[in-house]
Parts: sequence; C-alpha cells; structure tokens
Amino acid sequence: MFHKATEPTPLTLLSPIKNGAVDEQSFASLTRRYLQSLESHDLSPMAKVPNTFLCRFFILNDVFYEGSPAQEDHLQSKYLVFCCNFHGDTETYLRGFWQNAEQHIREAWRYCVAFEQVSDANSFIDYIKKCTVNTTFYFNGSSGAPLAEQLKALYLKQEFSQFACDTQGQSPQQLRAAFQHFIERTKPTDLAAPTWRPGQNFL
Amino acid sequence: MSNIAGKAYAMNVITPLGRWWVFINLAIFKLAKTVFLRRKLNGLRTLSLIHYARWVVIRQKQFPRLAESQPKENLKYPYMLFFSNFNGSWTQYVDSFHMAIPNGLNLMWQQNIRYPKSVPLQPFHRYILHNQIWTEHYYNAYPLASANDVKAAIALKAALVDFIQSTEKVSDDEEFSRRYKAMLFEIQAHLGKMAPSPVVSLANQATQERRRLNQLYGRLESKPPQG
Repeated sequence: MFHKATEPTPLTLLSPIKNGAVDEQSFASLTRRYLQSLESHDLSPMAKVPNTFLCRFFILNDVFYEGSPAQEDHLQSKYLVFCCNFHGDTETYLRGFWQNAEQHIREAWRYCVAFEQVSDANSFIDYIKKCTVNTTFYFNGSSGAPLAEQLKALYLKQEFSQFACDTQGQSPQQLRAAFQHFIERTKPTDLAAPTWRPGQNFL
Repeated sequence: MSNIAGKAYAMNVITPLGRWWVFINLAIFKLAKTVFLRRKLNGLRTLSLIHYARWVVIRQKQFPRLAESQPKENLKYPYMLFFSNFNGSWTQYVDSFHMAIPNGLNLMWQQNIRYPKSVPLQPFHRYILHNQIWTEHYYNAYPLASANDVKAAIALKAALVDFIQSTEKVSDDEEFSRRYKAMLFEIQAHLGKMAPSPVVSLANQATQERRRLNQLYGRLESKPPQG
C-alpha cells in the first residue's frame, strides 16, 4: 500500500509458533505468559524502540466457527501476531527494534518456527519479512510525524494551555516577560528536552 | 492481558470470508482509496476517536509457512483481520461505527461469513464479540493523549513556533500583546490540558489495580520456564 512521507507505516506479522511444549505448557502458552508479564507504558520494552506509536502482541490460537451453514475451520499452527504503527521505513524501524530491544525479541519470538536462524539485525529483518502480511486498507486518524515531534508537541500543548490560563489579564509588559520565560523554559524547537518520555503515563 | 493502554483501546477481529467473494472484497478495498467509494467511508474521518485502523485480507495460502516442519494450513476460507486503536470504551466505539458509517461497514465486511450487517445493533455487537481476540501486550507511546490531542498538539506547536519567529523583532509590548491575543484566538480549539484517563472499563480498572500492586510489592508474576 502507498504511504506518504507523513503517513505512519503499518506492520502486521504472523509468526507461526512451534507445536511443542515444556513441562506440559505449550509453546504458545509460554509465549502468552511472557507477553502478559511485560511492564506497561514507559516500562514496556517497546518504549525503547524508536518511533513506535502504538503496537500490540497477541496469540492467534485458532479461527472462530461462525455456526451453520458455515464449515468448521482450524489453524494447524498458533501464531504470534505483532501489529505496529510507526514512523519511517520498515527496515530502519526493525533495525532500531533489534538494537534497542534484542532481549525482548529473543523472549517473544523464542518458540516461533525458524527463529533460531535469527542472530543479528539483518537476519531479524529477513525473518520479519517472511512473517509479514500485507495491509489491505489503512486508515490514519492521527499523525505520522516522528515520535519526538509528536511528544514535544504534546508537552507544549500541556504547558502552553496552563500558560494561557496563568497569564490572562496581565499587562503587555508582564505578558511579554512571562512569554520570554516560557520559551526559555520549554524550548519549543528543541525536540530532545524538555519533552514527554515515550509511554509516559503520568504528569 | 489488556486491550487498554492509557486512552487507547486495541481491537482485534478475525472473520472468515466467502471463498470466491474474497476477490470482490479486495476490489472494494482498492476502490475505497479512490473517488468511487471514498464517499462511503467519509464517516471514518468524523470518527475522530480513531488513532489508526487497518484491514488485512489473508487468503488460505498466504499464512506464513517458514519451514518444512511447520504443518501446512488447509483452511476452507480466506480471513479478514481488523485492527483498530481508538479512544473510549468498546461500546462507544462499536456504537459510533454503527451510527456513523453503517453502509461503509457493510461494504468492508461484505460477504464475510454470517456477517449480520451493522444495523440492527445487537446482532452486530454479538458478531464483533464472537470474533474478537484479546491483546496480550499493548503499548501506546502517549497514553495520556487521545488522537484529537495529538492532532491539536501538532497544530498548536506549529502556530507557537510561527508566532515566536514572527514576533522576534517586535519591540513594542502593546503590539506583541495584540499579536499574542490574535494567536490565542486562532488556536483556542487546540488548547486543553491532558490527564490520566478515567476508568473506562472494568478491564482498565483491573489493569490500574495490578499496576498499583506491582509498584507496591514488586513484580508478582514469575518468569516462564526455560526450554
């Protein structure tokens, strides 16, 4: 699907999980248990992966039976599904994923078919390409700007909304001095700081 | 397990398509990007509670098979996966879809096996619930913000940076104040402070409670066994 430079990039993966078990727990169940044990928000391993907007992991155990007159259908493998929205091209994103969350990748995909062939960023990218399914139709209701740009904008929205309230009714001289101080404190064009952290869930 | 991360809810739905109708569905999705069908989906734009959504059609032989040791899939139907990231509760979202783009929904789920159509509401609710899969881990880079907050913030930042540049050489405080008020008037719709989301569902409440306990007592879950 065609993406404009300002559009987010969608990535959908279905990685087959081996049909096996450890101590009577299936590989799919162990994968699920690992995913459920992950910390959320800014402590999630995905918070370290550059330019990740929203992403999710789940296990596709099987497909659903819709009832008569439909026929029953079953998957032969369970799949680890990873669905992500990010900024930039897929290869750069996956390289950043490997470089910043290698341990998490190894844990999440450890029971997947052929994952033993993955040893570095390049082999990870090759592996992910084999698991990727094409997005048929994509809807962007938000922004595709780089994450640092979006987080800085959110920080500024928060700070400036307060500033606008605080300075109501001030004289032109007071307003100018306060605005100068606001710019020095918030540095609107500096994306690095001050800003919000990826996944920050409190103020 | 949680479908919720801050103000965003993750929905995953998988539904079977009619064996031969899949080509009609693929054609509809292609046309949906053109002027022919775009109008039917204009309502999606009015549903400003959506961050991102996608539809993925997978035919029987397109499920990834990575090794000879992996059993071949022998599915009878192609499948359509629907993924959405939205603000608010499940009910608010499904009801909004049903109200805003009933025809668009019928078009997207055209020829899905036993799709009841988007109107009336209750069968549509049951259809989505029956085919929904819960998320194991959901990450949101800005849990405090809604999709509208993100769009407003981008517009506010651009206006603020423009204002700073355009008033750099203004020496008169009165003139600065006049321009400031004009800028504030222009961007007033984008103002508003954000805060952690209120409880929007029992699942969200349970997540918050688990997080609070984890912070109090450390991690409660043990790591999965090695193998």
